[in-house]
Amino acid sequence: MNDAESRALDDAFLAVVADWSRGGEGCSEAQFDELARATFAYQVGRNGSYARFAAASGFAAGSGSAAGRMPATWREIPAVPASAFKDATLATFDVRGAELEFHSSGTTAERSGKHYIERAALYDASLTAGFDRFMLSDGARLRYLNLVPDPRRKPHSSLGYMMGHVSVLRGDGKAAYFFDDDRLDVAGFTRALEAACAEGRPVCIAGTAFAFAALLEALASSGTRCAAPPGSRIMETGGFKGRARVVERGELYAGLATTLGIAPEAIVAEYGMTELVSQYYDTRASRSAAGPRIKGSPPWLRTLVVTSDGREVPDGETGFLRHVDLGNRSSVVAIDTEDRGYRAGEGIVLLGRESDAPPRGCSLDAEDLLARQSQAAAVPR
Amino acid sequence: MSPDASTPATRPTPAQSHATGNSRATGVGRATGVARVIEAIADAAERWRDADFPPRLRTTRALIERTGYTEPVVDYALDALFGSLTAAALEGTIASELGSLAALDEFVPRQGRPDVRFAGVARTAIVSSDTTIGVAVPALAFALCAGSHVIVKDRSDRLVAAFAATLGEELPELAQRIETSIWNGADETASRAQLESADTVVAFGRGESLAAIRALLRPDARFVPFGHRTSVGYVARETLGSSADAGSRAGITGRAGITGRAFDGRFPAARSASLGAARDALLFDGEGCLSLHVLFVEHGGALDPAAFARLFARALDEMATEFPAGYVEIDAASTAYRRAALFRTAQSTGAAFGSGPKLGGIVTSLDEVVPSLGGSDASLAGVEAPLCNVRATHYVTLDPPLADPPPFLRRTVALYGVSGPHEALAFLRRHALPLEAVAFGDGAPRTDLVEFALASGAARIATLGELQRPPLGGEHGGRERILPFVRAIYRG
Repeated sequence: MNDAESRALDDAFLAVVADWSRGGEGCSEAQFDELARATFAYQVGRNGSYARFAAASGFAAGSGSAAGRMPATWREIPAVPASAFKDATLATFDVRGAELEFHSSGTTAERSGKHYIERAALYDASLTAGFDRFMLSDGARLRYLNLVPDPRRKPHSSLGYMMGHVSVLRGDGKAAYFFDDDRLDVAGFTRALEAACAEGRPVCIAGTAFAFAALLEALASSGTRCAAPPGSRIMETGGFKGRARVVERGELYAGLATTLGIAPEAIVAEYGMTELVSQYYDTRASRSAAGPRIKGSPPWLRTLVVTSDGREVPDGETGFLRHVDLGNRSSVVAIDTEDRGYRAGEGIVLLGRESDAPPRGCSLDAEDLLARQSQAAAVPR
Repeated sequence: MSPDASTPATRPTPAQSHATGNSRATGVGRATGVARVIEAIADAAERWRDADFPPRLRTTRALIERTGYTEPVVDYALDALFGSLTAAALEGTIASELGSLAALDEFVPRQGRPDVRFAGVARTAIVSSDTTIGVAVPALAFALCAGSHVIVKDRSDRLVAAFAATLGEELPELAQRIETSIWNGADETASRAQLESADTVVAFGRGESLAAIRALLRPDARFVPFGHRTSVGYVARETLGSSADAGSRAGITGRAGITGRAFDGRFPAARSASLGAARDALLFDGEGCLSLHVLFVEHGGALDPAAFARLFARALDEMATEFPAGYVEIDAASTAYRRAALFRTAQSTGAAFGSGPKLGGIVTSLDEVVPSLGGSDASLAGVEAPLCNVRATHYVTLDPPLADPPPFLRRTVALYGVSGPHEALAFLRRHALPLEAVAFGDGAPRTDLVEFALASGAARIATLGELQRPPLGGEHGGRERILPFVRAIYRG
């Protein structure tokens, strides 16, 4: 990456991140709007797939007689569906030069989406700033016990990369991974947790909801319980995508509290996507309050709640989440998701992807197909 | 049932028959044994074929309430269900499976084997799923013919209970042999109480539900599970018209920009297939095992697959007025599917067609979404249709990625152009699709298409448009109709 336009956008983004990390606003609505639209214009000028989609949506790049309409505000930026990363290469650069390449899981595991990131520095900056704010506001140096793939073995797992990065940057140097090839190393995890307990070293246990459910099942069968050192916490993410077995979140958190001695208030649900550079996390206030958990994000990641045909819904109403992430400079700035939720104050409440269509009929459906296809057990993110 | 009593409006009710001393009600001169049961079932079904029959009216309302389907769809289901339940169909099916109808009443000789008589198993249980209409009724009918006592897990619409009441009016002994009940399938104790004494259990539902039921049964009980399945259609090149239909030797391609008028009066076989496929796709909002979600269209006809896709989209519009959607909000999975289709369409790698009554019941004309069929970037220049309408109530995608499984979504069909049945079979095997039926256009399918259907694992070969009206005598799910409910006693 050595062109001035790309560097200018990256510099602007990194300045926003740095300001927010120092306690500043990061970016105002006006700054966000300006940067988002500039990023969009930059992307449709360099990414044919996105440009075609934008053109079909009524927006076009270019100048002179070929000039088309451009979004009047960031809210108008056409968002590609997350699945588009399976159908096209959505990058503003030659992906052979990508510093990061993350693959999404797929229900069939045959086609996975690929998110190419030109500069790891953008991802790292966004990740670290968000993690510090939402997971490490007390500045704790923790031991990271990761129920996620080891990034050295699974370099295309965004979740593995994420935990690898924070483990090195914010950990005590004894981080370990206990999830590989869709199998949980329960014995290894138990030993590591016992060692941390013996040392009085607080831990951060990170993993998908599915991995935690499997862990609880295994620990229950062996009758294992422990009390993690004070200051320990959990980062749960990923849900149960692609899994036939689902555990209700409240039940899961109660089980974690009982089995690992980490209170539900110290369990933070992270919400991210392979297709995004930045992440949402449960806010501290909502973790200890009654009612739904509210997710907060750094100011360079903003979300619209829209109808199925893309119209914004009033605050408080449920819709699909559309994310606009300035960190996605080298791919697509606006992503439509299958996730549903609603706006709550400055954050969002995530409702997830549970089917909103009542089960009827005797037709095969995606869930049936999933149950029939053993290869569906892909690691989320 | 005598021919002169075949019209519900003129036929006396059993109560009236009794009061007037009608011989049918007293049994004088009537058939005996299984023939009496068949006659009673057929007579009861005849009464239920009348849309104004009060129990049917009440049940129709309850079914609409429970399922959410529109009244025309529920009426279609009841017409198909009770329309198939005739004496001839019952007799023919039983005779075919047991060798003769009389084998249920007496010992009958067999060629090269001992004489045999069939008796019903003592107790049959039928667990109907909560998501279908009247699926338990055919099984109930055959179990009654066999002579079994039957318990049916009914649903909140009480369809089976209402039909059982009619059966009891026709032949009181049947009422003594039927028990209907509603219990919570998740309650293992309740399920066990109903099922553990059954000799034969017929169950409908998801794989996990069926597995749970199987675990409750006696080791020697017969279990007849009907899991979720799907159906596909195949439009052969012969169905897609000749050069005479096309008016040119080159045929018509989707790229040629066919308008609605271009089809008028031409391509009669293709049009018939498109309307039939539309009916199969829209009935029950595409949620049945006989619902069409995949349509293979062969290259080599006068219409290419893209042109047929447009014809099909128009047919869906027409058929949607007859069978409106039972919902107004598009679900999340459908939204995601349509967004993905729209993105691909913008990349000129396919096409999507969505139309139908939108929210608020406003009927729109066909909204073709960027039909850039196989074109280059330049093809977008002429696009006029907006890239939207993800809220349409029915949806067709042309040539979605073969690596993706078909969309098992409401009123949504994926149409794949294929060079022959080998490609269709490869797709079905790639996704391990369990098939109930394969449907073709009118007329006898080619030999290689029959071979395809056999290799697909489907239990039935049907004609497009008839998928949702299976004959009673057909082997639903590839299984016999009455054999599960009888035990054989041989003499010798």
